[in-house]
Amino acid sequence: MSTFLEIDHVSRVFKTNNGQPYVAVKDVYFEMKEGEFVSIIGHSGCGKSTVLNILSGLDKASSGGIVLEGREVSEPGPDRMLVFQNHSLLPWLTVRQNVGLAVNRVLRNLPKKERDRIIQENIDLVGLNHAADKYPREISGGMKQRVGIARALSIKPKILLLDEPFGALDALTRGRLQEKLMQICDESKISAVMITHDVDEALLLSDRIIMMTNGPEAKIGQVLTVELPHPRKKLEAVNHPNYYRLRGEVVNFLDRQKQIKIERAKNKSNAAISLGNVEKTNLTIGYIPLTDCAPFAIAQEKGLFAKYGLDVTLSKENSWNDLAEGIREGRLDAAQMVTGMPLAITLGMGNKIPVPVVTALTLSRNGNAITLSNKLHEEGVHDLASLKAYIDKFSDAYNPAMGMVHHASMHNLLLRHWLASGAIEPDKDVDVIVIPPPQMVSNLMANNIIGYCVGEPWNVRAVNSNVGFVVATDLDIWRGHPEKVLGVRKDWAEQYPNTHLELVKALLEASQFCEPLENRDEVVLTLAKPEYLNIDPVYIRPGFAGPYRVSTMEAKYERDFCQFGVGNMPSRKEHLWVLTQMARWGLVAFPENHTEVIYNLLATDVYRKAAKELEIAVAEEDKSPIVLADGSVFDPADPIAALRSMSYSKFTETSYFDAVKGFATKKVAVRQ
Amino acid sequence: MQTLDITENDQKHHQDPFLVIDGVSKVYPTPRGPYTVLQDVNLTVYEGEFICVIGHSGCGKSTLLNMVAGFNRPTTGEICLRSKPILRPGPDRMVVFQNYSLLPWMTAFENVYLAVKQVYTDKSKEEKIKIAKDSLEMVGLSEAMHKKPKELSGGMRQRVSIARALSIRPEVLILDEPFGALDVMTREELQEELLAIWRENRVTALMITHEIDEALFLADRIVMMSNGPAANIAEIIDVPFDRPRNRKAIADDPRYYTLRNYILEFLYNRFALADEAE
Repeated sequence: MSTFLEIDHVSRVFKTNNGQPYVAVKDVYFEMKEGEFVSIIGHSGCGKSTVLNILSGLDKASSGGIVLEGREVSEPGPDRMLVFQNHSLLPWLTVRQNVGLAVNRVLRNLPKKERDRIIQENIDLVGLNHAADKYPREISGGMKQRVGIARALSIKPKILLLDEPFGALDALTRGRLQEKLMQICDESKISAVMITHDVDEALLLSDRIIMMTNGPEAKIGQVLTVELPHPRKKLEAVNHPNYYRLRGEVVNFLDRQKQIKIERAKNKSNAAISLGNVEKTNLTIGYIPLTDCAPFAIAQEKGLFAKYGLDVTLSKENSWNDLAEGIREGRLDAAQMVTGMPLAITLGMGNKIPVPVVTALTLSRNGNAITLSNKLHEEGVHDLASLKAYIDKFSDAYNPAMGMVHHASMHNLLLRHWLASGAIEPDKDVDVIVIPPPQMVSNLMANNIIGYCVGEPWNVRAVNSNVGFVVATDLDIWRGHPEKVLGVRKDWAEQYPNTHLELVKALLEASQFCEPLENRDEVVLTLAKPEYLNIDPVYIRPGFAGPYRVSTMEAKYERDFCQFGVGNMPSRKEHLWVLTQMARWGLVAFPENHTEVIYNLLATDVYRKAAKELEIAVAEEDKSPIVLADGSVFDPADPIAALRSMSYSKFTETSYFDAVKGFATKKVAVRQ
Repeated sequence: MQTLDITENDQKHHQDPFLVIDGVSKVYPTPRGPYTVLQDVNLTVYEGEFICVIGHSGCGKSTLLNMVAGFNRPTTGEICLRSKPILRPGPDRMVVFQNYSLLPWMTAFENVYLAVKQVYTDKSKEEKIKIAKDSLEMVGLSEAMHKKPKELSGGMRQRVSIARALSIRPEVLILDEPFGALDVMTREELQEELLAIWRENRVTALMITHEIDEALFLADRIVMMSNGPAANIAEIIDVPFDRPRNRKAIADDPRYYTLRNYILEFLYNRFALADEAE
């Protein structure tokens, strides 16, 4: 589709009193399609109003410019109408006269009758017919703002510019006006750019949300596509299973900007502090508060990081996506990752720029389960076959949804494999969507999803709250699969080889400590602390240090449910399995040079050295086929044949992968 | 009245009632006859509780809190603090408003000192100065205490208001949308400070807000009002999150999302305002 509006590398530099130039915004670039609603969000001082003022023509860019329908615009004009927070109505004119002000000036060539019709039409549009002849002082703040919107829309601008339009209203009045505006935009196909600091407002109204970093030199930090169905109503939107994940993305971005602001004020930096042969001793390591973050918690609490000369700050991340971004942008030195994440970041999954990542350590195995809602249990669902029968009852028009935590996670890949093995086709019979772990239970309770695949304590949580039951654990799918791995950027590993080695040693020792049952109670109490899971040990213990609870009625004793000190060396065939599954579901293309890709991904030499120094035996590489619980066999010697034989495979052909340029062909529909 | 079953901490109050709103109605005479703002409102607050009141504009929540403050008297029923009826404003109940209401020609210190001087008539000047300074220090304003309101940011002005209110050690702190005019970052910062101060000073807090997230972060109980005229308490929600509260831990708690949507449902469906009334 052709570009409707282009904000072309806009920068704005102000002169300050002391003569120093102040760069408010730098290199802001985005394009918009006709009919799109885009919000710009950021903390005060992020330059969002500067961008809007330049768009409206009230201010001029120091460099770059605005192109609307192929023509540069630099002056205010009736093709771009601005709605302000303070509604700027003339107090001595009625609602009708205030709306008429714009129409009678801009459309003065039209006959009066036609102008009156347009005025009335727009008053009706915002639902103010009953107050058309009242004066501003006689109507509420919300109604005044509706007059402002009617006035702006009455002259049919190409684009509506909204500068915190509801900022002066209380949260509740705001909510209802947002719905009204949403309805108008849906019905009249209006293109709009809105400045806001209200996350819920941005989510309800926007097709895309542009998030700005702090000034000076504010720029676009992240862009979020809001995949919520239209027409949108506030309550339907918040009950959509995607809602709080999307909201979390924006809230987390703003939180991070707030942290950066605070840290900047404290003048803290992540510059390397070296000591002896350890090139960088001060590390920030990202993790997600799940029970399998145990090696990180133990390494910290038992002083293992310190033992190997490292001063580690553990950063509790809000979502896997945040954590991946932290590695990509260098905020984090290292991170706990779901098994497919090193590959996903390396390959640039989700149309991102490829950033090579390596893994030198497998931290844990197993530990996941698939939970289904108790409502399904009441309808007779108790295994895969009865789930298939349940799902088959739905028409093609409606898909029930299931949650998982990240596209590159084992949760996604195992859930999909399990569904497919029961003749349920993911994406066709059932939607598989990303939901952050803490939101799983509430989405299950609200019937937004029928089930999910996640690590602990979130299955136990559903069972204990009597809202769900475990239909399968990952032992029923692939006993002994790799679950979490350590990941660092490849350039980081090359720059700090000794640091990397000491980090692997500390975490390997911690993983070994977490393994024996006699240590598990200590691990549980550590994990329960506020700085880690901050949860009652009751939710951590099942499956981890005792029998696993499948339902309120049934418990199973599963010795291997959560493994830490087993098979810590990164395995080629396991990562290859992950890569083929990612290609099977269309998440990435399959690299024809897959051997090279996997070879570059695994820092087995670092692992071997660490294991040797810790006197841990290193097994020979196992090249035998992987056999899953459903009997399917994956032969690592011929992944392409395996891909072709898999059911529902979206794989068509291989593509050469270049570490810098990415895939040679972009033919594969890359989703995320 | 409904209760929400996910709030597990059905805490039993063994304490004596502290503040009791008993069958309170408020009727205003108008040229078109009497207008009932509130009708038969009942609420028992325990010492040290943090209560948030939420409801649409015009639901009478400010009227209710004004009666607790003593600015106004109920038409029927009564409000008692420690079993004594509230008849007029007093230093045991202090109010913080959205618009700060500081005297613009006085410095932050002088604004606080004014309140201290009026209440602590029996204390020496040195003692009074110390109380005012300590209060400003509590809200982190020691360095800016000699600045006038216009030299202070919105967040700092609201800190002065809180310091002034707390300087005279009230038993009840009444906050009428105190952070409504602040940006999100300052608002969150002040919420955290308010919680710390509330905990350390063991004051009972009643706060009006329109922000669901703010209420869920601060309150022990959220009082949800029906719409006027003749508004009433429609429902009370126990907020189950552990204290001291941590924003991130709350965002990780699945009950947060259930409660948030429940309150949204209340405000947008069950007690939605008619379009014209707004």
